[in-house]
Formats: sequence, C-alpha cells, structure tokens
Amino acid sequence: MADSGDRAREEFLSEAQEIVEGLGRDLLALDEGLRASRLDPSLINDVFRAVHTLKGLAGLFGATRMASLSHELEELLDKLRLGKVDLTAAVLDLLFRSVQLYGLILQAEKEGRDQVIPQVDELVRELHRNADGAAVASPTSSRYELDPSLLAVLTEYEEHRLRANIAQGLRLYRLRVQFQLATIDQALDELKAMAKPHGEIITYLPTGAGADADSIELDILMASAIPVDELRRALASGGVDLEEIPRRSSSGPSSLSQVELERSSPVYAPPPSGRVPSLAPPLHPDELIAGPKGELGTLRSVAQTVRVDIHKLDHLMNIVGELSIVRTSMARLVERLRAARIERDLAADVHRLQRTFERHLEAMQQGILEVRMVPLGQVFDKLARVVRQISREADKLVNLVITGAETEVDKLIVEELSDPLMHMMRNAIDHGIETRSEREAVGKPALGTIALNAFQKGNHVVIEIEDDGRGIDTTRLLEASVRRGVISPDDARSISRSEILTLIFIPGVSTKREVSETSGRGVGMDVVKTNISKLGGVIDVQSEAGIGTKMTVTLPITLAIISALVVMVEDRLFAIPLANVQEAVVLDPGAVRVIDGREVVTLRGSTLQLCRLARLFELESQATQPTTNGWPTSATSGAPGSVSNDARPAPRKTSTRQYVVVTAVGARRLGLVVGTLVGEQDVVIKALGPSLKGVRGFAGASELGDQRIALVIDAPSLVDELHAPGGERIRPLIASRGSHG
Amino acid sequence: MANLARRSGSPAGLRRARPQDRGPRTEYLAFVLAGDVYAAPVSFVREILKPPPLTPVPRAPHAIMGIVSVRGQLVTVVDLRRRLRLAEPVPTRRARILLAAASGGETLGLFVDEVLQVYRLSESEKEPAVAALGGDVAPYIEGIARPSLGSGLAAGGRRSVEGRTEQESHISVVILLDLRAVLGFS
Repeated sequence: MADSGDRAREEFLSEAQEIVEGLGRDLLALDEGLRASRLDPSLINDVFRAVHTLKGLAGLFGATRMASLSHELEELLDKLRLGKVDLTAAVLDLLFRSVQLYGLILQAEKEGRDQVIPQVDELVRELHRNADGAAVASPTSSRYELDPSLLAVLTEYEEHRLRANIAQGLRLYRLRVQFQLATIDQALDELKAMAKPHGEIITYLPTGAGADADSIELDILMASAIPVDELRRALASGGVDLEEIPRRSSSGPSSLSQVELERSSPVYAPPPSGRVPSLAPPLHPDELIAGPKGELGTLRSVAQTVRVDIHKLDHLMNIVGELSIVRTSMARLVERLRAARIERDLAADVHRLQRTFERHLEAMQQGILEVRMVPLGQVFDKLARVVRQISREADKLVNLVITGAETEVDKLIVEELSDPLMHMMRNAIDHGIETRSEREAVGKPALGTIALNAFQKGNHVVIEIEDDGRGIDTTRLLEASVRRGVISPDDARSISRSEILTLIFIPGVSTKREVSETSGRGVGMDVVKTNISKLGGVIDVQSEAGIGTKMTVTLPITLAIISALVVMVEDRLFAIPLANVQEAVVLDPGAVRVIDGREVVTLRGSTLQLCRLARLFELESQATQPTTNGWPTSATSGAPGSVSNDARPAPRKTSTRQYVVVTAVGARRLGLVVGTLVGEQDVVIKALGPSLKGVRGFAGASELGDQRIALVIDAPSLVDELHAPGGERIRPLIASRGSHG
Repeated sequence: MANLARRSGSPAGLRRARPQDRGPRTEYLAFVLAGDVYAAPVSFVREILKPPPLTPVPRAPHAIMGIVSVRGQLVTVVDLRRRLRLAEPVPTRRARILLAAASGGETLGLFVDEVLQVYRLSESEKEPAVAALGGDVAPYIEGIARPSLGSGLAAGGRRSVEGRTEQESHISVVILLDLRAVLGFS
C-alpha cells in the first residue's frame, strides 16, 4: 500500500499527464485552424488554461522544472490570447515542443530523477524571448464606442475579444435569457452551440433579476456579422430576447450597470461570491467564455470520474470468472434437482433464481469489460503529433485523416499499441510518402495523405494505416532478402508478390541500410510484428508500387476474456485463442508430405507446415496411425473464429480422424494437428506460476468449469519455435519462412 | 482441508508432550513418500488438499506433475517423490497435496502419498543430516528424527477411529525434509 503522499503524487502525475494530452489535442486543432486561417480564440484560451493548471499543480508538488516551463509558457500564451503576440507556425512549434518536454519532465518526475533537463532550460529561454520580443503595440490606447462602465466588468481577455470583434466591423448584440437554475449549465452550453456559427459570445453577466427563485436572467454580450433579424431567427428556439447594441451608445442597459457594481475583480481570482453564491462559479465570465472545456467542465468530470488501477479490474474479472464456474456447477445441481422430481416447486424456484443469477453475472462481466475500454483516440492523438513532427522534419506535406478514433479497445492493449503504431506511422512518412517534387513529377498532389482508420469487426478491432506514397519496392526487398540468406535464390524465383511483402517482417531484412533508402520500409517491422503478436493481434501489409501501402492490424478487443477454440489432443484439453485461428479443417493423412524433415500439406494452393501437438507435447498413444484420403476435405475460410465441423461424409474412422487448426501469426501460418474440436468458449486466461516460466508454448491456462483446466496455446511462440531453424525437423529449411502465406 | 494451525494447537496435544523435554519444539508434519516417512516444518504448509483434477503441463520440468485450481488460483503441483528421485507408487485415495509457500511468493502444491500426523520435535530428538544417506537426496535432508512416544499429534481426527494408528505406532525414524531446499528450485 502506498502511503498517502505517494498516492497524491501518483494522482498528480496522472492528472498532469491527462492535461498534457489534452494540450496536445488542442495544439493540433490550433495547427489545423492556423493552416485554414480560421483560429478559434477559445482554443488558445483552453491551452492557456491547461498550462495555468499545470503550473498550479507543479507548484503544489514541487516540480520546479515543470513550474518554470509552465510559467514561461503561460506568459507567452497570455500574450497570444490577448492578441499581443501573433500565432505563427514558429510559435506553434514552440508550443508543440513544450508538450514533448512535459512528457520528458513527467517521466523524470515519475522516476524520481531531478537533474536538470537541458532542453527544458533551452525552451524556457526561447519562450521568454518570444513572449518578450514579439510584443505588439499595446491596445489600451484605442478607444471604442462602448459604455466605459461595461469595460470595468470585462476581463482583459474579454476586452481583447471585444476589441477584436469591433475591429472586424461586427455588430454587438445583447441577449437576455432566462435560465432555470437546475439546468443552467446544460442550457448555456446549448445556447453557446447555437450561437457559435453566427458569432462569438464575449461575456455574460447575471442581470440580478429572475422570474422566480429557481431561475436566473443573464445578459449575454455577443458579436456577430449578421443583421439583427437574421440572428433573432437563428436563435429563435433558445427563448432569447435579443437587441442590437447601438454604436456610440452612451449608457449600457441598466441591468448591466447594476451588475457592474457587484463585480470588480475581473481576472483569474477565485470566483467572487456575489449575491447569488450558489451560482457564482458558473457565472464567472471566464469560465463561461471558455466554453464547455473550461475549468468548470474539468471540475465536473473529475468529480464523476474515478481513476482505477487496471489490475483491480483484473481482479474483479477473476472473481467474475470464479462466479461463472460456480454458476456452471450450480446449473448442474439445479438440473439434478429437477430430474429427481422431488420438491417440484422448490426446484422451479431454484431454477428461476439460477437464471436470474446467470443474467446478472453476464451483465457484470460486460460491465467490467466496458470499464476497461478506452477509445483509440488516446493513441491517435499522440500519432497525430508524431506525424506533424516527422513530416516537418522530413519536409514533406502530410495530411493525416483519422476515422474511428472513438473505437474502443482494452486499456492494456491501447498502452501496448502506441509504439508499434508510432513506428508504422514513421515508416509511412519516411519511406512511403515521396518528397513534394517527386510527387508533383508523377502527377500526385503535393500534399500526401495518410489515412488512419479504426473500426470494430466482430470481436476484433481493425486499425489501418494507409499512405498514398510510392509503395514498397518488392524487387529490392527480394534482392536484400536473398543477399541476407533469408530466402534461397530458387525460392526467390517462384515467390509471389504478396509473399515478398511479408519479408519485411523478417528481422534484419528490411533495414534502410540493407535495402537502400528508396525501398526500405520497416526499420524494425519485425519488432512491430512481435509486439502486435504479443497482444494476440495480426498484421498484414498490402502495397502497390506508385500507389501506396496499407498496413492492417487486427487486434482482439480485450485480453481479459478471450474467445478460444477448445480442442482435445489425446485426452487433454487445450484452448487456442480464436484471434490466432484462421480455420479448422479435417486432416487428410494421405496428403501430408515431408519436406526437409517437416510435415506439410497444401491448403488451397499454399504450403502449410504442420505441427502435431500430440507429438510436440509428447502425448502420443500408439493407436494413432490414421488412414484417410481426400485432402482438403472441407474448409471455412475468412473471418477468424469460423470453425468448420466438416459436414461432408468422411470415412467413419472417428477414432483416428484428426483436425488441422490453421493458426496465423502475422503472415506466418502453422497447422496445429489436434484430435477433436470441442467448441468455442470465452475463457479467462490465468498465468502459469513462476516455476513454469521456462515452459514454452503456453500463454496460460483457463478453467472450463467443473475444475477442468485447459492450457492455452501460445500460438505466436509455437509459430516462432517451429519456423525457427532447428524447430522440429532435420535440417534448416529457410524457404518455408516465406513460401506460404 | 485441514486447518493445521488449529489442530496442532489443540490442548490435547500440548498435554501429551512430555514435560521433561526442554527447549523449543518445532512442529513437523509427517507424510509418506514411496513408503518412507518424511516430515517437514508445519510452518511451511498452508493447507492440505485432496488432489483436485490435475492438468499435466507438457514440457514442464520432470518433477512438476501439473496444475490444479484451488479456489480459482492456479497452483503448480510438484511431485515430491520425483523431486527426491524416489519410487512412484500409484496414488491411492489417501494421496494429498500440501500447499506450501515457495520462493518468490509462489504457492506450490506438493504431492505426497499420504499425510500422517504432526510431531512436536525438540532439538534433542533431531539428528543432523547423515552422511550415510548420500546421493541426490542429501541436499534436501535436514536430518532425521526418532520421535519419542507422545510427541505425535494426530493429523487426522478420524485416523484413530478408523483404527489406522498401527503405522504411526511403529514409526521409529522420520526423515526431516529441508523444504527450503526442496522448494527453491529454478
């Protein structure tokens, strides 16, 4: 148990982390806005606010590096939002760098290292220069036609916005709206959303009046380009009383001046407690103008969110697993009770109870799984930052198009996913997208596009990274592979294009140095593949020369409970994660050939290496010498999880019939020969104890109910083992690595 | 599933201990491996189970029989007979699994042919490991004990009722296992 200090620190770190992530998102949006020359002022305000919060947090926890960085950043941002400094790409670069450095600092804080980080000092100096140097003429000298008493209640920021809007020649409107106290937050948000397309809300103030004790009236100051009638129509559904504030008017609405007196501290001090204390926070103009993402919004979400260690959820999941086992046993008892035909009423009651229990248990399992789920957007945001950075470094124009960021995946998977995806993204920019001039030379738009798509597909999540670059140069890739001895020259002649592409996943083949800059893709694609495999995922690559490359990653949605194919080998049960299963077919012993000491069959035109689990695990009994023919008997291909239970009449030698479960890990496949297919089942995988650590081939074990335990096959490790030199055969056969797929 | 702590602390047992033996006494649980009587400090043993269905793990070290599920936890079961390179008689219904705390916080199951009783042994009743034992087993042996009459506490209440006390009364030598060494395998 961590003591309270440690825990507070944990909280601090994770909160800071969250804020920094949000900061990154906002900066990306700013970047986009800057390019489209449509800056959303509330975004700059959000960023300012985030940094301000970080500064406060850092001060509280004595994180001096973070505090000093935040301080300088805050200065710069303050000037940005007040229009004293222009937001340029260079300034934005500084801001992006700061996000990166925050990451570094947080890491250092987490590990308790407190030496100076030179980059931070450097950035602090640079920020300082920018904030100081770029000071624009102070705007206080300009006069404009508004009641000076109104000015008194405006914050500096609001004043700046007001001035900016007037400078653009926009009209000013006063909106008077009645709100119910109970629903004011929501109603305000709705109104803001309604008003946003038509202009900018500068401030709002309570009039001090209200129809009754449960409602409040607000005066809203809004700037808009459209005439009063149009705006009135646009906001008609909001119950808004709207009037245009005439220019050069000498006195503001009386209600405004009435409030002015109450409010005199218009900055970031704690909200003043006015006559309506319960409403003071929501009515703070700064909060309101910041929109739904302001401090207020954050406060509320913090109050309703609980941060939970994922291991606690694992624990809950284990308990649910136990309960499922209890449920199974109970169901059997109930059946016996019913069969015994005694106490019929009681039996019926118990049966009903049992059904209810089952339903709730399922709901609970589903609920826990949902809690573990987080949107992929968390990773995608990071990727977007990487894309921006790399494309600037490489001086390439890249447009990242993201779809499906809301797709949800198990938290643990998301964590493990960011490195591989980052790597693939880097490859897409470095090696995929061509330089501007190259692109123009072949008639492509100078702006390269990388699509990052995510979507759910059954129990899996698919993530695609697709670029419109030059594609993988298969000729060079093949040359390099032959040179490295990964594939024999003979095989190289007969290899298909898609098989060549899978070579990028073989260690040592596709390094830049080996394959040359133009065709090299996947520095460390083997690592990417390994990481994806560890998550029970699969990666595929498609590429067309001159058109682009598409990487497809297919992952299970959760690791806590997985769907598995339960099989029987001799009299033992094994579970094979469905994520790794392509199909299952009946084994035709007559079709088995031995090539270089390895048993293989031909399945739909490609060679499939076999692995007899009974032999590998030394479970073989004497009576297993099958004799049948007609391979391949039946096959269901396609989606993982489809299992064919061979409907065709086959020789009635059920005792000797065996099945091949085709497992795929990345592009490599392996046919696991098993006795019978028992069925598909959702299982909770538990790790084997430390004393079984050295045992290869199992990812853990699962209870199937009535105390039966099935070992869960670790397909990636078996594939590695059997494809590796020396794996169950007489002498090395390099060709088999690439010659099926 | 015996609760050893409760049993060994029973007043009856305390009374039976011979008053003339001085010095601290250590409680040992005696069990049968391949026909011989072994004992290990009770403090290592958390629980005694009737063997649940056992799932062998292919490619595991020879001495590991497999895994069982104990209230939802996977426990690796070690065959003490194999570990000590003894003969392996076919398990009878008296076979038990001792749950023991092993190195690294792991709980291991130790498969034994039969659990006998708890002995409270004083230092004077123990003899250090005998060189004569020699062989592979030596590193696992703490010593031997010649329990005097009365130092035994019945490990199973039913034992005497069933009239199976014959063996106990004839026990003259108990081999004391150094469980730390036995469990500290890689």
